[in-house]
Amino acid sequence: MIKNNDSSWQSNIAKTITFIVTKDCQLACKYCYLVGKNTKERMSWDVAKQAIDYILDNEYDENFNHDSVIFDFIGGEPFLEIELIDQICDYIKSELYRRNHHWFNSYRFSFSTNGINYHEEKVQRFIEKNITHLSIGITIDGTQQKHDLNRIWKGDGPERGSYDDVVRNIPLWLSQFPGGATKVTISSADIPYIKESVLHLYSLGIHEVNINCVFEDVWEEGDDKKFEEQLMELADAIIDNDLYKDYACSFYTEHMGKPMDCKLENNNWCGAGQMLAIDAAGNFYPCTRFAQYSLRDKKAWIIGNIHSGIDKNKLRPFLTLDRCTQSTQECIDCEVASGCAWCQGENYDAADTPTIYQRATAICKMHKARVRANNYYWNKLYRKLELEGEEKPAEKTFNLNC
Amino acid sequence: MLKYLVIQLADDAVSYCHYENVTKGGQFISTENLKAAIRFGMVENLNIQFVYPKRALPVGYAEIIETIDHTKILPCDASVVYDSHIVVFNGVTEIENYKLSKEQIAILRIGRNEIDELPRIFNALNGKCARVNVVITDIDKFTDSEFDSYKATLTQLGNTVKANILAGDNTQLNLLTDRLVLKAMNNCNAGDETVTLMPNGKFYPCAGFYYDNAEEDFGDLTRGLQIKNRQLFKLDYAPICRHCDSYHCRRCAWLNRKTTLEVNTPSHEQCVVAHLERNESGRILQYIKDDFEYNTEVNIPQISYLDPFEEHKKW
Repeated sequence: MIKNNDSSWQSNIAKTITFIVTKDCQLACKYCYLVGKNTKERMSWDVAKQAIDYILDNEYDENFNHDSVIFDFIGGEPFLEIELIDQICDYIKSELYRRNHHWFNSYRFSFSTNGINYHEEKVQRFIEKNITHLSIGITIDGTQQKHDLNRIWKGDGPERGSYDDVVRNIPLWLSQFPGGATKVTISSADIPYIKESVLHLYSLGIHEVNINCVFEDVWEEGDDKKFEEQLMELADAIIDNDLYKDYACSFYTEHMGKPMDCKLENNNWCGAGQMLAIDAAGNFYPCTRFAQYSLRDKKAWIIGNIHSGIDKNKLRPFLTLDRCTQSTQECIDCEVASGCAWCQGENYDAADTPTIYQRATAICKMHKARVRANNYYWNKLYRKLELEGEEKPAEKTFNLNC
Repeated sequence: MLKYLVIQLADDAVSYCHYENVTKGGQFISTENLKAAIRFGMVENLNIQFVYPKRALPVGYAEIIETIDHTKILPCDASVVYDSHIVVFNGVTEIENYKLSKEQIAILRIGRNEIDELPRIFNALNGKCARVNVVITDIDKFTDSEFDSYKATLTQLGNTVKANILAGDNTQLNLLTDRLVLKAMNNCNAGDETVTLMPNGKFYPCAGFYYDNAEEDFGDLTRGLQIKNRQLFKLDYAPICRHCDSYHCRRCAWLNRKTTLEVNTPSHEQCVVAHLERNESGRILQYIKDDFEYNTEVNIPQISYLDPFEEHKKW
């Protein structure tokens, strides 16, 4: 068998609602796209409650009539606000029950955390209380060298990596979430450490590594070649050591790197606009990446607030956005187009005008390098399976987080 | 392809469309910029439209303007009477008190609160001017009940148009008669076919963009036109509009950006208003096809929606 990434819970039928509970974080990761982190913008209970009431009051609205819901908590570092989160989750559960809402027993609470205060009593109490409806991903970037290269503590003084503070919580996390996946982010300086980092994460017991290159324009001359070499070396290690049977890495996905048709394969990559994000001021966004603290050069894209509700006109561009309308002719004609990702927020931030309809292409050469390494991986794996008398695996799909 | 150059002669030149004129000091275009703009229009082979303020132009401007073939757009209360083809009226009262000539085009800017006056006004203007362009300035604020009222108003206007056809009169009403002859989109096309030069010497898709943010220009007379993401002003890059057959719709890029934050995406309200007009045009077209054996390739089929966005999952 070949280990697949699990697809997200109810990924096609669940509404994702993100509470930006704080814009504070213990860390100051060098690649973090959150340019406006601060300690002041913490969500109040009053704002959170009004947001929940608005959402649940509009149960049958097209924005909230999905079969299931994922309440996502993000920061900064969400667990800094564990008391508020606990209150929010308790209120959601009691209101779903009281209202006999169709999301009752079809909800999930989701977290992406830096893992630093994962072991603390308040966090653990929350986990114990909600374990059956909980997904938690801890971000650890790989080896200590790779992790500490970017994921450093904030503050003045000498740079201090956070690896030791995170890795100590991995066993506890995996004991509670045995299928736990981690998200690894690659920037230019990280490239030499990709192979050893993925293998290191496997050695920690993490079986699913979702990994992606940052979408920002950070790449230097020759990065694509180094990236390709790392991925091919990683492919060798995974296949030669039979790791593919039990572990997954989102870099390798069978059906990518093919030309795409503008009529038959024209869906947008990104789910911005399908989601809803709420910040401390009670403003609504199509995704967290459109909140002001995520944007370098553009104004926040606010689609409403807890008082006036969602302005559906401001969602129309997202819901009608397709691949080809936002792509350059080079992207449309690209012979390895499939699997090339983009972030709508980064597209907006990097665009020449305030639009989501201009696709950023900084990732182009990295995608092409990935396609070449991916081809190598599958050719090598198929040949191995063939020689060993095993059948080719069924088609795989991978869930690439943005 | 660029076809039209609109030159605003002053900051407080009359608004002839959805945007409101937010006067910024009443600056006139300089004679240097005026001459350079005319030269730009000539070398680019553009049709030029001058937009006037209520105030009289400074001495010498008229002579420069007359060096080029052009169209004048004037407020109805302009302090100096020019021989103008296009006259702008703000509200019903202004147009009631004005004597138009048969060659003139009236632009009537009204709010939703005056829509029910339209049948009476159009009856009064019927046969007295070439065309009436109605601009509903607060189109983005329509409510569902107001859509119903507007539909009823359009039915009344449609009856007048039918009577006109019967009588052989041909005063056009943009809301209903344009769609009768259109076989493809015929929109404002600001930013694609039309650019506006403001008195500061800079280009904008239209004056509305200037009043919103003068920093977001499309180049100037020295650097030339620099239209970033110009494709977004084209129909092919408008996901909703390219599936639509409300061909007469203004498809206002400024209103689009105001309501949806994207120049290529119309609001629900703009779409519904355009479809109510389209549907009434369809009834008129059916009438003239049936009763006059009118032979035309124009077709306005019956459809089940008023906002094409509702169909987007089928695209």
